[in-house]
Amino acid sequence: MRLRFPHPGEMFISLGLVALGAYVLIDTQSISETQNYSHVGPRLFPHIVGNGLILLGSVLAAQALPKGWHNVPLDRDATNAPDFQAAGMITIAVLLHMALIGMAGFIISGILLFTLVARAFGSRRPVVDLGIAAVLVSVVYFIFSYALGLELPNGPLGAF
Amino acid sequence: MDSLDSLLSGFAVALTLKNLMWGFLGVTLGTAVGVLPGVGPALTISLLLPATANVEPAGALIMFAGIYYGAMFGGSTTSILLNTPGESASIVTAIEGYKMAQRGQAGPALATSAIGSFVAGTLATALLTLTAPLLVAVALMFGPAEYFAVMVLAFSTVSAVLGSSLTRGLASLFIGLFLGLIGLDSQTGQARFTMGIDELLDGIDVVIAAVGLFAVGETLYVATYLNRQPPARSERVRSSVWMAASDWARSWKPWLRGTLLGFPLGALPAGGAEIPTFLSYAIEKKLTKYPEEFGNGAIEGVAGPEAANNASSAGTLVPLLTLGLPTTATAAIILAAFQRYGLQPGPLLFENEPNLVWGLIASMYIGNVFLLILNLPLVGIWVRLLSIPRPLLYAGILIFATLGAYGLRNSWFDLALLYIIGLLGFLMRRYDMPVAPVIIGMILGPIAETQFRRALAISQGDLTVFVRRPISAAILAITLLVLVSPLLWRAATARRSDT
Repeated sequence: MRLRFPHPGEMFISLGLVALGAYVLIDTQSISETQNYSHVGPRLFPHIVGNGLILLGSVLAAQALPKGWHNVPLDRDATNAPDFQAAGMITIAVLLHMALIGMAGFIISGILLFTLVARAFGSRRPVVDLGIAAVLVSVVYFIFSYALGLELPNGPLGAF
Repeated sequence: MDSLDSLLSGFAVALTLKNLMWGFLGVTLGTAVGVLPGVGPALTISLLLPATANVEPAGALIMFAGIYYGAMFGGSTTSILLNTPGESASIVTAIEGYKMAQRGQAGPALATSAIGSFVAGTLATALLTLTAPLLVAVALMFGPAEYFAVMVLAFSTVSAVLGSSLTRGLASLFIGLFLGLIGLDSQTGQARFTMGIDELLDGIDVVIAAVGLFAVGETLYVATYLNRQPPARSERVRSSVWMAASDWARSWKPWLRGTLLGFPLGALPAGGAEIPTFLSYAIEKKLTKYPEEFGNGAIEGVAGPEAANNASSAGTLVPLLTLGLPTTATAAIILAAFQRYGLQPGPLLFENEPNLVWGLIASMYIGNVFLLILNLPLVGIWVRLLSIPRPLLYAGILIFATLGAYGLRNSWFDLALLYIIGLLGFLMRRYDMPVAPVIIGMILGPIAETQFRRALAISQGDLTVFVRRPISAAILAITLLVLVSPLLWRAATARRSDT
């Protein structure tokens, strides 16, 4: 059974959409309207999108208030026991990869990303994961940079 | 016949050694990635998009067609053996196919799926060959008003058909429209919603959006909510992947019926393969001589929907190639691939680049043959991919996801964007908001805006142009029907359940 109404997540999304719509409308003011020959300038579509987002967000909020959205799989066992630690670890992995790729290169940052994500999914064999990561990332690096001509950062390993 | 000539010259393009190789590479990669649990065709294509960065257009598009078809074939294998459909279109296949696999009938289930997909794919490609020139003739009469109307129709059907709520579908669409607005306005060159960030001036690349929503969002979702559940166990293929005479007898009619359902419904902007596969399942259930087998693994229930699924994927290419109108997320990403080469699908593409378009269509006939070979004798290889442990699978997916995003222009900003859009995808997945309308809105929004402004430029600002032109008025009337009828339907059923 659903216990808490309004559901905080549903409210968050609804109000988020309203806020996004408001931002769109406010930022639209900074676009200068040049109506030349086409009679509609670059402001019209942002206006429609902004108002649409506010309207849809309000409707969703109204739906969330009394008894929640229809058919949302909120009550399955899985969603009652979220594992935010895993999500947090993936977040760290992706952001670390982002910070490192320019300096450390694709191979090193890729190995780190792979190992951390596998760890987040509950792998308890970091050495095996490291080995698999090293093979996979190197193969991908060679295929993409030599056979397919994509430029990927080398990092301290240098160009092979 | 005109289209036959064009097709023959298309075969001349597709049968060059180089293009055969691109096609073969495409179907192989598509099958390999598409077979991975939870990876549907849209994600497969966006993950593999960077692989074609330096390939010339004809070869790249031929490879894409191969990836598209390969991903569909691969997805069916996963549905049958693992009961985890990677996309809504193969949900139906999983119903009977997985039951068959549990009874030790995985061989015939995979065979009827592969052969049925081949039959349907080939027939539907033939139908595409015949109908595309006709639709091109119609499309040449389209002005900006008609294009705009058709896009509004696509927006509405995609939001109304996919997912369980019209409001949430529309909300997804508007998120996509907003993402599409970011960047330079195509007509005045003004920056819109770039928040002063230079990297946003070019707009958000569709690869980042698709990979963020499908790959990063899904990874976060599975890690948070599903990882504690034991992984699905793959059923084993005990018998050979072939069919007995009785299986053939029970399969060929569902194949043909599935094709006839799938192609036209795929060609309409009706949300892709979801409706035709469900319809095909319902029809086969009604017509079968073995109703007691339905629910326990009836071969008709695999043969029909699989054929419908594949035929509709060829049908989807009709509006995509002739009008430049994507009706599914996958088609939207293929459209983005075209745009990457400065090509705009539509009637003019048939006139200006006949070799490319017809080479692409011809390559689809060839790709179907490749796929049959890859999926009947070699299915054992793909089955092994199903047993990749979850940690390694998602770690691998993220490697390719970040590679695709970073490879665009070697900027860390794109990786940040990828993660932010991944968070959005996570929330949308959690609260059951469909993702496809985001992709469609993002790709189609800017085109719709351009057409709208062109239409008003021609009519000198007169808004009634959209209802005064008969074709445009008719399309907008259908749109209204699509949006209003579910509401009326719900009101009617709500009253019934109240009493």
